[in-house]
Amino acid sequence: MPEKMNVSNIIELSNNKLNELDFADYVIETERSNRSQLRFADNQFTIAKNWASTILSIFAVKESRTVATQIEDLSAETINSSIESLAKLAGSLPKNENYMGISDGPFSYPNIEHLADPEFLDFHDKSIDMVESAIRTAEEEGAKRSAGVLLWDVTERNLRSSQGASVKSNTTRYEFSIRSFVDEKSSGSGVAVGRLSSKLDFEKAGKDAGKIAKMSVGGINGEPGKYNIILSPKVAGDIIAATPAAANPFSVEVGFSWLKDKIGENIGPDLVTVYDDSLLPNGLGSRVCDDEGHPTGRNIIVENGVLKGFIHNTSTAKKAGTTSTGNAGIVFPVNSNIFFEPGEQSFEELLEISKDKPTLYITNNWYTRFTSYVDGVFSSIPRDGMFLVENGEIKQPVRELRITDTMLNIFKNIRAMSKESIQIKTWEVPQPVFIPYVLVEDVNLTAATS
Amino acid sequence: MTSNSYDLVEKAIEEGNKLGAKYIEARLVKTSLNTSILKNGVPELGGIIRTNGIGIRVLKNGGLGFASFNEMTKDEMKIAVAFATKMAEATGRKRGKKIIFSDEEVHEADYKSLGVNGKRPMEVDPEEKIQRLIGLDKILAELQTGAIIPYRLFQMIDQTEEKYLITNEGAKIKSEIDLLQLFGLAVAVNPNTGSKEQMMIQKGKAGGLEALDYWKIEEYLEKEAKTLGKIVTEAKEAPKGVIDYVVGPNVIGIMCHENQGHPAEGDRILGREGAQAGESYLNKEMIGERIGSENVTIIDDSTIEGSYGFYLYDDEGVKAKPRYLLKKGIFEDMLHNRESAAFMETSSTAAARAIGYNREPIPRMANTYLEPGDFSFEEIIEDVKLGIFMQNFTEWNIDDRRYHSKYVGLEAYLIENGEIKHLVRRPNIETTTPKLWGSVDAVAKRDLLEFDAATCGKGDPMQGAPVYHGGSFMRIRKVEVR
Repeated sequence: MPEKMNVSNIIELSNNKLNELDFADYVIETERSNRSQLRFADNQFTIAKNWASTILSIFAVKESRTVATQIEDLSAETINSSIESLAKLAGSLPKNENYMGISDGPFSYPNIEHLADPEFLDFHDKSIDMVESAIRTAEEEGAKRSAGVLLWDVTERNLRSSQGASVKSNTTRYEFSIRSFVDEKSSGSGVAVGRLSSKLDFEKAGKDAGKIAKMSVGGINGEPGKYNIILSPKVAGDIIAATPAAANPFSVEVGFSWLKDKIGENIGPDLVTVYDDSLLPNGLGSRVCDDEGHPTGRNIIVENGVLKGFIHNTSTAKKAGTTSTGNAGIVFPVNSNIFFEPGEQSFEELLEISKDKPTLYITNNWYTRFTSYVDGVFSSIPRDGMFLVENGEIKQPVRELRITDTMLNIFKNIRAMSKESIQIKTWEVPQPVFIPYVLVEDVNLTAATS
Repeated sequence: MTSNSYDLVEKAIEEGNKLGAKYIEARLVKTSLNTSILKNGVPELGGIIRTNGIGIRVLKNGGLGFASFNEMTKDEMKIAVAFATKMAEATGRKRGKKIIFSDEEVHEADYKSLGVNGKRPMEVDPEEKIQRLIGLDKILAELQTGAIIPYRLFQMIDQTEEKYLITNEGAKIKSEIDLLQLFGLAVAVNPNTGSKEQMMIQKGKAGGLEALDYWKIEEYLEKEAKTLGKIVTEAKEAPKGVIDYVVGPNVIGIMCHENQGHPAEGDRILGREGAQAGESYLNKEMIGERIGSENVTIIDDSTIEGSYGFYLYDDEGVKAKPRYLLKKGIFEDMLHNRESAAFMETSSTAAARAIGYNREPIPRMANTYLEPGDFSFEEIIEDVKLGIFMQNFTEWNIDDRRYHSKYVGLEAYLIENGEIKHLVRRPNIETTTPKLWGSVDAVAKRDLLEFDAATCGKGDPMQGAPVYHGGSFMRIRKVEVR
């Protein structure tokens, strides 16, 4: 039986082979992680999982032909043969006219607080008790049954580039979500995500889920029409954060963005300021360098409602006449943490502001799909508790409505945001977002015909 | 696959037995995948992915544990088996109702679905692949219909996946499957009005590069691009009110998948996906109940040769056969793995699929379609006074109990007095599942049956499963369009 390969040997072997085959630019990245998951449904554990994985990723360039590989078959033979295949592949491709280099060193990397927590090295036994406490808390709030998942991981990332980058970083993370039911149509959800075990509040997540589930009992079918909507951070993390996430040159070029030619334009009200921020302590998208080895940072996307800029890698930045924002992914720029500056109101004040108009409080959503990305025409389905707000108070639970509008209308119609900044990353919101509760005016809701 | 990898799979079973596993399966998956990405005619990336790993699943003390690894050493294997066993036992101890698996016949089998000689994924020169993709892009770039297509993205993926599954009950299944996949996005713009319409492209098939010819891909793309151009230049507003709909294979397919395939998944019905993909409007007591009209029979069948969702034995080693999700409108079969089947005191329907060595097998669809009927296309249309013929769809979504769905038409035409008239823009069916299936009064013949490829999303972590969905043509009476 072979021995497990040392990460530095994997990098050295790759480096030598890439040089031998005359690749001009390259980035070698390894990720060795140990990830675990505990899933539950109907208040009982359904499965416990563990993944031990080492992944080697290489992005390489030969005479302006761009190629990449991901190898999870880590023998010296496979690594060598894959890089040889890359050379052959590069030889058969036409030039990538969009490629303009990777970031040149030397580099100085930021020191980001709270990226790793040694508690997660041995978390299995605690995890069972903690998940049970969340289920119990949901029950105390009135839930009959809960389902959900806790995931945690410990990762060591190493990166080396032909342009002088050499970085090692250690991270941990957890993602807990719980969805509770009183009956098949009355449900609520809660979430807790981050990198530090001390911030992992299982009980609050369970309480949120149970409380909303209980409140949603007795829901009636909602009437279609125009509403003001108050979005929980989970919903805002999907629908409101979609607009700064569309500030990506790759998305604009292929027709996945509604922000073409909008830099400098007012796309939202004064109160909206959004960053892509890789440096946030405890942020799930925080990292010291991007996939080119370029140091990360904090970049403004929307300032007081004005679209200020896009995220970039070296190639997209040069094409746009600017500099990299440290957001390189292997193929296209990727966000780190999307951070919304919080507002000034409490959640209760958002309810009060909207008291004179038909208003819905939407706690969760899913299945956001686009008829037209370039125009931002979409619909999305509220799930879990949704409530009519009357005279500034949460009242009648309602169901079976669909948000059917455009992303630009919704962003433009943001009226207020709450003081909280809550980190969200869920099954429906894979992109880490820090966002408050958001009040949006005049949103179109539709319903199915029976 | 190397003999070392096979040895590890076999030793994992021995190790699990030693540790007292009631059930243990070890699944070795080795994937060799090539890909090319073309953005607006420029080759953005050529890529190669190589994976080789083992997934272990253990049932002990009424609990389930899963562990995977990709560094093929004996130590890694032992750690994985020990974890899966320990955590199965620990979580099982906490369960009131213990997890059990249904009893199933044990099989040994070795099967393949490969591309034709010289066209298999690893045999075709990368240059031939990228040139074919560049040719497809040119068709869109040079469109002459009064519209332009300035946004274009293509990705081609070809792969070979070898699997070796064994269990401590004696199942031993080897398979090797080639797969070709083509994805694309095109947005047409009317240069005079600025009106835009997008088209998502997905083709997929078990096999090699010969699939491109099977699809007549250049001819297909040219036809679709011309229609997209006409939609932004010629389409008129769709009628409102109570009208009839005639929908084509692409729309029937997504309806079968979303409105009947997902809600028939056993794990959803049991609430196991409650926090993610949701639950179901169906339950065990509804088996035998009428959901749709007599014209609606929906089948899920993984054994269709050359299909995108092809397999003969599922990832628990159970032999596959067609599943009748609705038979003449009556709810008959669920999609079960051995876990959900046991909870419902029935047998597995061989729906356990794991997308990768590092995923657990859960109930999934494979190839879901509406069984054809007796009508010709002309007969279906001629009896419609006012309606819409929706050939394919763009946006869609459905609530997480699979009861309220919405489908927005892409290529769609007005039907008036039994005749197909002009294109209409983005007509919309937003209705409930029983209303949808209950309103079908005609289904077209078998020679009009077609399938589309799709990637079905489910699980946590996500498992994107290749599936077919399809049908011929069907008529839905009296749908209210707002």
